[in-house]
Amino acid sequence: MSRGPEFSASAPSVAVHFSRVDRRYEPLERIDVRYLVETGGGVVRGMERSVLWYTEGKGEEDIGVHFFERMTDRAAAAAATGTFGCVLPRSPLSYEGVIVKIRWCVRVRLFFVGGRDFISEHVFDLGAVPAARLPSPG
Amino acid sequence: MVRLPRFFAKKRGDRRTGAAVWGSVGEAVFHLILVGAGLVFGGLLVSGVAVPEWRINHDFVESRGTVIAAGLARLSPRDEPGREPRPRWQPSLKLRYLTNQGVEESWAVAGSPSSERPAARQQLEGLRTGVELPCWYDPAAPQEVVLRRGYNWWMWALTLLLPSALVAFGGAGLARAAAGWGKSEERMAAGGGLGDSLTDGPVVAVDHPGVPSCEDLVNSPGTVLPFRLPTDSPESWTLLGFGLFAGLWNIVLVVLAINAGLDLLGGQTDRLLLAVLVPFAAVGITGIVVFTRALLVATAVGTTQLEISAHPLRPGGQYDVLLGQGGSGTLEELEMTLELEERATYRQGTDTRTERLVVWRQVLGTWEKLQAAAGTRCEVRATLQIPATGMHSFVSEHNSVGWRVVVQGRPSRWPRFRRSFPVVVFPPLVEAAAEQSPTGKDSR
Repeated sequence: MSRGPEFSASAPSVAVHFSRVDRRYEPLERIDVRYLVETGGGVVRGMERSVLWYTEGKGEEDIGVHFFERMTDRAAAAAATGTFGCVLPRSPLSYEGVIVKIRWCVRVRLFFVGGRDFISEHVFDLGAVPAARLPSPG
Repeated sequence: MVRLPRFFAKKRGDRRTGAAVWGSVGEAVFHLILVGAGLVFGGLLVSGVAVPEWRINHDFVESRGTVIAAGLARLSPRDEPGREPRPRWQPSLKLRYLTNQGVEESWAVAGSPSSERPAARQQLEGLRTGVELPCWYDPAAPQEVVLRRGYNWWMWALTLLLPSALVAFGGAGLARAAAGWGKSEERMAAGGGLGDSLTDGPVVAVDHPGVPSCEDLVNSPGTVLPFRLPTDSPESWTLLGFGLFAGLWNIVLVVLAINAGLDLLGGQTDRLLLAVLVPFAAVGITGIVVFTRALLVATAVGTTQLEISAHPLRPGGQYDVLLGQGGSGTLEELEMTLELEERATYRQGTDTRTERLVVWRQVLGTWEKLQAAAGTRCEVRATLQIPATGMHSFVSEHNSVGWRVVVQGRPSRWPRFRRSFPVVVFPPLVEAAAEQSPTGKDSR
């Protein structure tokens, strides 16, 4: 099967290096990331870099963006490597609940010529709240 | 060769590919259909109701008509097999009047249609042949004549309600789709679209994203401790629900009963209405009984007041709690617990459902055989401690994690009651940012 003009045979990928090996951060601590983009032969027309939290679990997904940067300059967006960072907020802390979970992540979104986009998401922890467990009956 | 973008995003681990524009297209088309349907319905209703009325008031020419005949026009509904046809009678007058094309004779509506023939005939009293009346005829079709002009505003409002709602809902959706066209969810959430401004999210504390504001919980001072917590009791809502149901149901019942009574007085018996009235009355009486019982229970048990030594709370913190229970009888049992509840709201088909789950519970105290002195309330004290690694309160549009103090009691001679008092737990205090560590490993 032939592919469209914007993609080669290999899929795009984004590698991210966190400033903490264990990816565990405290509130008000600075997070810095370095990323390496492999476009897979596609032509990148824009990029968005963000640090955000989202909910997972039984409910509808909610999202809160703490840091957001949009690069529409093709040359900058198509650069193979880059860095960004920010000071993390006091809340919400990462939480592993039973029906509600809160996850923090670094998200790099590439926009390709032709309308398609590619998202690479890298989860990290803010705070150290232990996972919730159901209380024993009685 | 051109390849179409994918309709659905494809997710592999932490990578996703897709074309968000298709989602926006789908949303825009759906709302465009709503707007189109609203405009078509609105157009039909305007041309069917508003335009004829407007023409009567603007185009019709005034004349004087002489009544030459009076009668009842039979308006026959479609006959249903096995049922006796019940026609309606429209009072009408035949007029002779002068038009721009000569003398014309035509029937005009002279009153409201009625299913009772004598009532319809009564409207024609005093309108005998030879009487002269003002009338208005259509210059384009002089046989069209009316005896009354004016606007039926409530009919306009009713007919335009549905199309207006469709246009408003579809228009708002179109505006939202236009604002989010080609934008990522991060950009929208970061304030790059209209989406956020159209939906009011929960109120959060200053400088604490995702943590609910506790302003409403600290504006009432306690009698002994600094703050009196407001109750979030489902019993109050249940009582209100019972009251509304009983009230509305019995209003409908009374209207139906009056209608049935008038029929009986007029010598008619509507068996279907009478058959419906019996179960309606049973449900209405049951509603009143249930509401009265709930009201008695709520007032007899007395109010529960909870005071706390500080607010908002912090993980690891210890707080004094004072529980005051009103009411005159003996409390066989009273228990106070601290709970952490997760709440998730999701859509299932066209329904919106909320699931709640208590994931942590600690008993703060239990008491037995409590008896308040006359004119006073029972008072008990306890110490509340939030676990040092406990989760803070969290709220977002569809999810929340909330702390609350729950009071459950069993009064003698009355059913068990349960009242809850939400509290807000902030994250632990953090003074300054920690030191940075060296760059870590790859993530792919």
